[in-house]
Amino acid sequence: MSSSYTVPIFLRGEVITEDLVTFGTRSGGAEFAAPDMSKYVDRLPLASPMAMADLYDVGFDEILDVLQALGDALVFDTNPHLQEAYEAARLANPLPDDMLRTSYQILKPLFARANVLEIADSQVGLDYLNGWVSQKHVDGRELRVRAFGSRVLHIPAGNGGLVSAVTILRSVITRCDAIIKAPSNDPLTAVAIARTLADVAPDHPITRHLVVAYWKGGDTDVEEALYKPEHIEKIVAWGGLASVKHVTKYIQPGLEMIALDPKRSATIIGREAFADEATMREVASRAAVDIGVANQEGCANARVIYVMSGTDEAGIANANRLGELIYDEMLKLPAFISTPSRYPNRDLFEQLESTRMTEDWYRVYGGENREGAIVVSQFDEAVDYSPMLTNRVANVVPVDSIDKVTDAVNAYTQTIGIYPESLKRELRDRLPLFGAQRLTSLGYACNVAIAMPQDAIEPIRRMCKWIVDEECDPDVVIPLWRLGEVAQV
Amino acid sequence: MTTSQTEQSVTTFMDAPIEFFGHSMTQMQSIPRDELEALQRQAMKIRFRQHYETIPILRKLADRLGITDLDEFEDVAPLLFSHTAFKSYPSALIDNKRFDLMTRWLDTNTSYDLSGVDASGCTTIDGWIELLDRETPLNVITSSGTTGTLSLIPKDKAAASEGMYIWKMYLFQTFGTEPTPEQLDPGVDVVWPTFASGKLGHLRIADMVKSGFTGNDPSKFHPLYSDAIDTDLMFLASKMRAAASRGELDRLVIPEELAQRKDEFIAMQLRQPEEMQQFFAEIAEKLAGKRIFMLGTYNLMYDVARAGLDRGIEGVFAPDSAILTGGGTKGMVLPDDYMDVIHEFLGTESIQIGYGYSEVSAMHFACEEGRYHVQPWIIPFILDPETSQPYPRSGRQTGRSAGYDVLNKSHWGGVISGDEVTIDWDLVCPCGRSTVAFEPEIMRYSDKDNVDDDRITCAATHEVHNEAVNFMKEFEA
Repeated sequence: MSSSYTVPIFLRGEVITEDLVTFGTRSGGAEFAAPDMSKYVDRLPLASPMAMADLYDVGFDEILDVLQALGDALVFDTNPHLQEAYEAARLANPLPDDMLRTSYQILKPLFARANVLEIADSQVGLDYLNGWVSQKHVDGRELRVRAFGSRVLHIPAGNGGLVSAVTILRSVITRCDAIIKAPSNDPLTAVAIARTLADVAPDHPITRHLVVAYWKGGDTDVEEALYKPEHIEKIVAWGGLASVKHVTKYIQPGLEMIALDPKRSATIIGREAFADEATMREVASRAAVDIGVANQEGCANARVIYVMSGTDEAGIANANRLGELIYDEMLKLPAFISTPSRYPNRDLFEQLESTRMTEDWYRVYGGENREGAIVVSQFDEAVDYSPMLTNRVANVVPVDSIDKVTDAVNAYTQTIGIYPESLKRELRDRLPLFGAQRLTSLGYACNVAIAMPQDAIEPIRRMCKWIVDEECDPDVVIPLWRLGEVAQV
Repeated sequence: MTTSQTEQSVTTFMDAPIEFFGHSMTQMQSIPRDELEALQRQAMKIRFRQHYETIPILRKLADRLGITDLDEFEDVAPLLFSHTAFKSYPSALIDNKRFDLMTRWLDTNTSYDLSGVDASGCTTIDGWIELLDRETPLNVITSSGTTGTLSLIPKDKAAASEGMYIWKMYLFQTFGTEPTPEQLDPGVDVVWPTFASGKLGHLRIADMVKSGFTGNDPSKFHPLYSDAIDTDLMFLASKMRAAASRGELDRLVIPEELAQRKDEFIAMQLRQPEEMQQFFAEIAEKLAGKRIFMLGTYNLMYDVARAGLDRGIEGVFAPDSAILTGGGTKGMVLPDDYMDVIHEFLGTESIQIGYGYSEVSAMHFACEEGRYHVQPWIIPFILDPETSQPYPRSGRQTGRSAGYDVLNKSHWGGVISGDEVTIDWDLVCPCGRSTVAFEPEIMRYSDKDNVDDDRITCAATHEVHNEAVNFMKEFEA
């Protein structure tokens, strides 16, 4: 089969499309070509740590200017690199065309000056990024701390353009040297942003500290040559359990991992939802959005929805009614937010059909045409295949008390969408003990801000090296060599 | 033939195929295709009507699809069950020991009436299955599924003994000649390269083999390990794997019934090296040069062969012994020379390979050409792997294997497998058998797609059992 497109190496401003070899994509259809990494891997890392110095000649205002210019140029209709990335993603990604195209609209506001400033200041602190921050200790010493950039390898997830863009933004504001491994299901977005950067800031230090390349995950020839402390200080690994686990074997002193690993999310709906028909419908429409956004491919999407309706007859009836309404609302979502899946998961829909036959325990709304479905448990347990839920299939589980919900929250739980706000405040000191990392208003699960911690860590701070300069005046801070004299007095 | 004669022969074909084919493997595999297909169509129609009345879950599906009658093979395609049908109960029922509700669920899946069974006193899976064994015609087969659940397939005892008889027909008769009295009743010892018994899938076959091949003579049954594998422990192991992948191992509760038996399980683990010594001593002393039957996966056979050769035992059994295997190497990595090692130890002329899956009551045996000839009571289908639409029954087709089993009485016989197979519908196999056949290359879709599969295969019983016991040791500590 001939290759549908080429994923070049973006090497610090240079675009390389030679020595091509072919690769398959996850959906199995198209093939793409990329330079044979065994021939280029030695050129990816920075030749010497001293080469980081030029980033410190760039003021933060200049960083903001470059990113603003980058954002202004990342307009889909006029940017040929993005158009090319979109064509590639259409072949490689399960999301429908409209949705992919929409995902590029977030790029311009992301790189806008005010947004970048907010992220940099709230997530690291401008003072620390741009100079030494002084502090006097009680023992009298003068302490100065500065956040330095590091040499980082990024393995981003391929859901839409956002992850690649955020990765580049984070690297630039922290003055990191970034090598990005392009994901196979969104192979060109990172390259497109990088090429646009080279267009707006040719030969700029920011451009010279960015590399984007594709190699097959698990290619040990490439990984063993590159994943070493002499080339890379940190690896930011997004994505599935297998790929994150795989990276851990390279972790050693001098090379740390920042894991943004696979997560699942949950939803909790309080009794208040059943106050009246209008409230119930509003709750259903918010839940439908949390399920449906980007066809439930993301980790923040709602999957198991706990409803505090109670499990008596009236409670189950309420849960069923809510399930039915959620299904209705889900079908009404506009196509740029949610559609029936292009590649429905066969195993999941087989499970769904068996569930449909098991009326004693489950009621199924929809799913006949694999358009998505709501399974309402008729007792207080989620379906056994809940980890498989995707393609707009969610499970409403009626419960009597919140204990049943905390049982289901663990270290792999990322977002919990909650209704109403009062229930969220009641639960916010408790759910984190079990592993929950982000509590948000129902309907906003997939509406994620960048200027906040992610997966219960602060990845941008972690990308920095926190360097200390101490000044100790022997007349103020008693030195060890004088301790003897002090003791004798 | 008159109509009533035809009806009679269809009934015999679908209810007593051994009798229908005169106890002859050659006849079973020589029936002209058009004649066979006519019988299959009529049998399918009759069995559907019977099962529509007696199996609630089938009735529900047929009603929903508006299917009232089956005439052509394709008509049954929408009624083929996926493997999920056999594990559609909520697993919380097992955790909460609600075996009364489990019985109610099983009742919707079988043609037998289980309404008189009181399982409310059961506290373990094994205890429940033993109750069903005692009080019903069922012989429930379990197998570990993905996502930490257990498939429960309501087979019956009659099918089990019939199945063993058919195995013997294929293992000891020669295609092309009618069976001799000796072939119909071969005296063999059984060598069993794993645990002696258990209710979990393949181990359930131990009792069937013991009874079918030795007439339940314990002196002729030689297991590697004398103990039974506990289904509840294996279920715990399967949940453990699922919980580990979800980061929920800290939430896993060990049922009290199992926790109390911890020392017993550990003792069993400690006995194993000694039992292995005894196993080989018995083989060398009592079975050298004898005709035996052995069933096992390649990796079980390899492990036994390697251990045997290391003890200086080789070419140990009579050359006309029957060795049966299937399932390829089950994702296990074996050395390149594994077949040489197995042959060197066994000393037998050949190894018979079969293909089957637990939801269908048939093993399809390979001919000299390596093709798996379909048993006459199975109507095979090749489906589009994604949509489950049947491919045409002509030419060479590769896709998902499915089958409708007209012989199956205890549960609905239409099942879709997880295997990719090929059938060349127009091929007349040079081996002389008249039936259609699966080509030798068979692959699991999960292996092909490289999907994480936490299913516990028969090949891994020993390893998984140890995993569970070790987990219990740690848990207590």
